[in-house]
Amino acid sequence: MSLFEGLRFRPGTTFVHRLDPRVKLATSTMVLITAVIHIDIVIILFLLMLESLVILSAKVQNLWIKTIRGALPLVAIVFAITFFSQYSREPVISTGLGYALTYSLRLLVFLSSFSLFFLTTTPDEIALTLQQLRVPYEYTFAFVSAIRFTPVMAEELQVVLDAQRARGLEVDKGPFTKRLRNLIPVLVPLLVNVIRRSYELAEAMEVKCFGASRKRTSLKQLNMRRKDIFFLVVVLILFSVGVSVKLLGLEPVKTLPLLGQFFPD
Amino acid sequence: MTIIQVRDLSFTYAGSSKPALKNVNISVEKGEFVLVVGPSGGGKSTLLRCLNGLIPQFYEGEYSGKVVVDGLEPDKTPTYMMSQVIGMVFQNPQNQLFALSVEADIAFPLENLGLPRDEIIQRVEEAMELLNITHLRDRSPFELSGGQQQRVAIASVLAIKPKILAMDEPTSFLDPLTAAQLLSIIDDVRKRLQLTVLLVEHRVELAAAKADRIVVVSDGCVVFDGSPRDFFEFYDSHLYGVSSPKVTSLSKRLKTHLEKWNRVCLSAEEFEAEVRSLVSHL
Amino acid sequence: MSAIFESVHYIYPSKVHALRGVSLEFRPGELVALMGENGSGKTTLLKHINGLLKPVKGRVIVEGIDTRTASVAQLSQVAGLVFQNAEEMFFESNVFDEVAFALRNFGYSEEVVRKRVEWALKFFELDTYSSQSPFLLSGGEKKRLAMAIILAWSPRIICLDEPTIGQDSLQKEKMKHMIKMLNTQGRTVLLATHDVEFVAELRPRVILLSKGEVVADGKCEEILTDETLVKKASILMPQLVYAFKRLEDLGFDSRVLDVDDGVRQVLKVLRHESV
Repeated sequence: MSLFEGLRFRPGTTFVHRLDPRVKLATSTMVLITAVIHIDIVIILFLLMLESLVILSAKVQNLWIKTIRGALPLVAIVFAITFFSQYSREPVISTGLGYALTYSLRLLVFLSSFSLFFLTTTPDEIALTLQQLRVPYEYTFAFVSAIRFTPVMAEELQVVLDAQRARGLEVDKGPFTKRLRNLIPVLVPLLVNVIRRSYELAEAMEVKCFGASRKRTSLKQLNMRRKDIFFLVVVLILFSVGVSVKLLGLEPVKTLPLLGQFFPD
Repeated sequence: MTIIQVRDLSFTYAGSSKPALKNVNISVEKGEFVLVVGPSGGGKSTLLRCLNGLIPQFYEGEYSGKVVVDGLEPDKTPTYMMSQVIGMVFQNPQNQLFALSVEADIAFPLENLGLPRDEIIQRVEEAMELLNITHLRDRSPFELSGGQQQRVAIASVLAIKPKILAMDEPTSFLDPLTAAQLLSIIDDVRKRLQLTVLLVEHRVELAAAKADRIVVVSDGCVVFDGSPRDFFEFYDSHLYGVSSPKVTSLSKRLKTHLEKWNRVCLSAEEFEAEVRSLVSHL
Repeated sequence: MSAIFESVHYIYPSKVHALRGVSLEFRPGELVALMGENGSGKTTLLKHINGLLKPVKGRVIVEGIDTRTASVAQLSQVAGLVFQNAEEMFFESNVFDEVAFALRNFGYSEEVVRKRVEWALKFFELDTYSSQSPFLLSGGEKKRLAMAIILAWSPRIICLDEPTIGQDSLQKEKMKHMIKMLNTQGRTVLLATHDVEFVAELRPRVILLSKGEVVADGKCEEILTDETLVKKASILMPQLVYAFKRLEDLGFDSRVLDVDDGVRQVLKVLRHESV
């Protein structure tokens, strides 16, 4: 049930929530590019700090922390792999740790920039963004239906599970092969229902004139307002600074020598 | 004026050996409210799907006969064009709503048709007002009750502005009180828009008194086509899987006991009027 | 006692408070209808009887077992629950195996399984379909198969969630007979339903639920004819009761649940006055 709660999107009221989703998407992308071209830890940290500010102003820090916590194993793996691959090339602990830390932080920057977009944008806005970026409507429709029917399917799964448990099915009992076999009474009805549902949906789409006109119109439209443009300009300036620093080789601190001081070999 | 004309219609679903409809003949006048009843699997839904072209275009099979709906032949006309003449509401409200808000769902067919934005906005507002769901505008369909979902489904079909509204057991997922409310909304909307309505419905006790005509479809054939009162008076409706309203059974029985009992009643209100007139004539 | 609810509270993870201090007793061999609008707690209550849900506060005792101490599989053998969409839960390739599934889960020997399946299929007039795919049955047959599945292991308590929804009058008639038969065999039968006309014909004990609370508990004749109670539970009144309520000023008694009662009432008033 709590899962469904998470899928009930309410438009937020903060400045970040109300930004044009296209501006947010562009911002996320620029943050991503900056993080990709730099391996300087200070710049990465600076990006992370900027992101934290935006996250705090959008008041989504709790959800963001949840996302990051979920991704921690992945971060740990990246950390370990980077460390060992670097260490095998150049057996210096400090360099290895430096790279590992930078790469892990970079991953955090990636994750944050995308979760920021998804946490502050309703699926409706995402659909509109896709539509106005001229993505073919079929894809947008597929995206919206996926969001629309996820909670319905989750509920259905619960009902099937309950019904089969009432027939004595014990899903998590017995050896592995038995447990696999136990899935059949759950998956078959679920699949049958999905097929039936897709028929019903297709019928309803037909009578609702799906695909009738080449030029599909739209009830809602995204409109850039003054604050959107202002925000975009600020981001663009920061982005060009970030790129120039890289191109001119002006990184403020060289990460690896810095770390070397703490871990003398 | 005849708006629906069905002549010698037969249909057998692909892969089935038994025909779902056999030589069906019906004609419906503009503005009529036709109740379609009969046992489960008797062919009611199949008949509705023949009227908007889902049969034979979406469901393939052996099709013969001629259907004309407002001058169009559904078997030869694209479904999106038929939908602008005959709107269709299905049984399960959950599977007719695609969007993430009520407003977007009502706009969906209009967007598909490529109508100008101003017109979409206007039609969405009208449809929401008509079904009294304006306050639900931003809600997602998942959060709505079954009755509300079905009202949204009807609104989105009516926004296309069809002349005919066809409904396939729209209340079967609803509780009786909600079903009764939905049926009176449908009746109200039909009168306001002067729609022709075809309603497949199990809850005859809620719909019989409102309908002009009743068509009984059983085993692929139309076995009765006439006034609801005649059907319940002269037929044993139960044999066709149709429960008769309780006041109807009661008044039928009273008619055999009392000479002066005038008519078979279809609703509690009719029954009340009958009893009152008899008492006042004592 | 078949089942006892002692001030049971249930709160879903979504924070919906579905049962608010429900205390009830179901005696062996009783026929009970739980009525109320969607979301009143009917299904939640039934799911407590076979342990699918355990009370957050309070206790549920089923045939002497505290449901918190037993598994769903153990409780299901005592209390069978037929889900509202049970006909959408089929997965086996034939009707026989579909019924046998639960019996095998409960560890009956193949010999007993065969006997019980055959008996259950016969009872529900499905014996000719034994080797057919359950997916090919008609709507009414599927509904009966769903009941056969549960009846096969002969639980002492049978819970039916909305058994008449979407059924035509022929199927409903059959359902009514099956329920009566199960009840005369001495089983406790609990129905969650909003179908007032169906309940009016069965004449069970009626429990009205509203927002997770019991608002009335008593004889069908008394509860379904009580306008205030029926309104409180947001259910529709039986049509005859409604019709006679409108005639109360003429001296009619509105406690009319079936056509026979109605005929008697009208004849009494009309003939009496004509004398």
